[in-house]
Amino acid sequence: MNLVGISINHKTSPLSLREAVHLNREEIAEFIPCLKKDLFSEGVVISTCNRTEIFGFPYSPFFDPDELSAKLAEFKPGIKIEPAHFSRYASCGAVKHLFSVASGIDSLIIGDSQILGQVKEAFDISEDLNFTGTILRRIFDTAVRVGKRSIKETTIGEGAVTVSYAAVQVVEKIFANLEKKNALVVGAGETGELSAVHLKDKGIGKISIANRTLERAEKLAQKIAGDIVPFNSLKEQLGNFDVIISATSADNFIISYEDVKNALKKRRGAPVVLMDIAVPRDIDPKVRDLDNVFYHDMDSLRIIVDQNLQKRKDQIPSVEKIIMEEMVGFFGWYNTLDVIPTIKTMRSFFEDIRLDELEKIKNKVNEEDYLKIEDMTRRMIGRLLHNPTIRLRELAESGSNINDLTTNTIILKELFNLDHSISQEEKNNDETKNEEPLGKE
Amino acid sequence: MLESINVINFLLPIFYFTVFGVYSYDFYKEKKAVSNIKRLVLFLTLLLHTFYLIIRTMEYNHPPITSKFEIFSIISLSIGFSYFVLELLTDIRGTGAFIILFSFIFQIISSFFIEHTYIVPEVLRNRLLGLHVINALLGYSGITVSAVYGLLYLLLYKNLKSNKFGLIFDRLPNLEILEKLSFYSVVIGFILLTFAMVIGIIWLPSAYPNFSYTDPKLIGTFVVWAIYGFGILNKLLGKLYGKKIILYSIFGFVAAILSLIITNTLAKTFHSFY
Repeated sequence: MNLVGISINHKTSPLSLREAVHLNREEIAEFIPCLKKDLFSEGVVISTCNRTEIFGFPYSPFFDPDELSAKLAEFKPGIKIEPAHFSRYASCGAVKHLFSVASGIDSLIIGDSQILGQVKEAFDISEDLNFTGTILRRIFDTAVRVGKRSIKETTIGEGAVTVSYAAVQVVEKIFANLEKKNALVVGAGETGELSAVHLKDKGIGKISIANRTLERAEKLAQKIAGDIVPFNSLKEQLGNFDVIISATSADNFIISYEDVKNALKKRRGAPVVLMDIAVPRDIDPKVRDLDNVFYHDMDSLRIIVDQNLQKRKDQIPSVEKIIMEEMVGFFGWYNTLDVIPTIKTMRSFFEDIRLDELEKIKNKVNEEDYLKIEDMTRRMIGRLLHNPTIRLRELAESGSNINDLTTNTIILKELFNLDHSISQEEKNNDETKNEEPLGKE
Repeated sequence: MLESINVINFLLPIFYFTVFGVYSYDFYKEKKAVSNIKRLVLFLTLLLHTFYLIIRTMEYNHPPITSKFEIFSIISLSIGFSYFVLELLTDIRGTGAFIILFSFIFQIISSFFIEHTYIVPEVLRNRLLGLHVINALLGYSGITVSAVYGLLYLLLYKNLKSNKFGLIFDRLPNLEILEKLSFYSVVIGFILLTFAMVIGIIWLPSAYPNFSYTDPKLIGTFVVWAIYGFGILNKLLGKLYGKKIILYSIFGFVAAILSLIITNTLAKTFHSFY
């Protein structure tokens, strides 16, 4: 298989370069015709904020992957891609790499589930632009299956791997029905917003936002359909909330020990979760000494993130097993593509002999006998060729012993001098192809 | 039938240990296949145990309440059964190992020391007494299960407070669920205990015409019943919740155990059958 690919990712290049080479949907659609014109007969471009991958079947058998990076640099003027900035893949290696990408084990955050959707989307773009064929379609279908199986059969995508999500995970370990709970997010910056979105996704009953700048609070509240708590009345209202996430850039504590103690009185001791994901901290850590107060800061949430990342890493061998199984299946299918012409030629070789012999006796027997002989010879040829046909198909589909498959195919061709027949057949096919230049497969 | 009783008596601890093993394995590894099998294994064990108690009743012609070790076997079944019902009602399957361990302990002690009890005092052959004992044991099992959930609550609470995010954090249900499980089991226990007390009061005058309402057993049981009744009422009124209700439930359990120890060993009461 002459599939080739290059990958510019977090392992090979700095973030600045990854950002520079990133192609959005429109750019991919513009870039594909350039590839189609000079380099590939078919291909796919996957581009996310952390990686840009280009796979394809080159026109030239002596294709140099550096041409691909040069083409990308040409398309994105001003960027300089050194050979060390990308990995090169060919044949089985390219397929295996694509499967690893789709499964999330090659991602910056192992088990990232977004990549599977991005792989699917990239293939759809190529398909829309008629830049795909049977083999590439099969490769990407299998890649998507690898991704789905990895999620379903392993725990590669489980557990919070960001601090804001870990905060929500802890909240879920305390409260059962989040829809009956009220949450307050203090700080409308990026982290605060992320936490608010996670809480919303988990079905929290009500979210309120408190921020020094009212406009930013309003903007976030609008986005997540929440309320606003005026920043200056924050302390008086603390007791109304079951979950408080604080992520401001304040230099000092904005929620003191006494504030939380007073809030607890108001809550008559009902549990409250305080997530301090600000650096420096917003909430006095002494509050963790209070009964029914669950206080967590960046350090404690980082423990959860690190543990989950390690658990995901531990799942890599299981995902690799899935990749291997799917590669065996894919190459089994791929190998049948080579065997089918041989089987076809062998069968037509025998059929020609049969027809030739029938022709010889056609005038020597009556019509009724001729039909009987015709029927008998067809069945006989069918039975004679049944086992070799099945055996060859099985060897090809199992994909486990390519040497056996090659040996058997060669013996078959040599014994019956099929090469001559195949070249004759290919000649005929070429003539047909020349008549229809677009029909590659 | 005696042969069957002996064989099942030998098999029951093995079955309970298997259930405990399967639940523990699932707690540590969380495998989907095991998660589905474990409930079936528990169900089969409870079925075998029920069959064992039925054939025992038939063979010895009295309910299996005539010795400490028969009682232990019923406690074992009651705890397993209470947990099974809770698991069916809530579909929370991560806590079984902690509960079934008690079933295993009671059953293995029972299986080791249980004897053939053909000859028993006539008073113990009474069916009303049988009903009273079974209700009381199921009631005590309910409050035992509640206390176990209470302890699990405190364990998770401590883990959350001290930033320990290990197996307990990963596998146990959340604090609110544990509180709910503890409360459900205590309510079931309380109802059954109430039945047991009512049946006991109906049966008592016919069996012991000279009994006294100041008997330590009656006072002790009433105190335990009142403690739980007060707790349940306050929980329903929304006055007790979270860690407080859990601590209260554990306090109730300690009171129940102390009451049993005092009335069965130290005090003089009509309730001393063994």
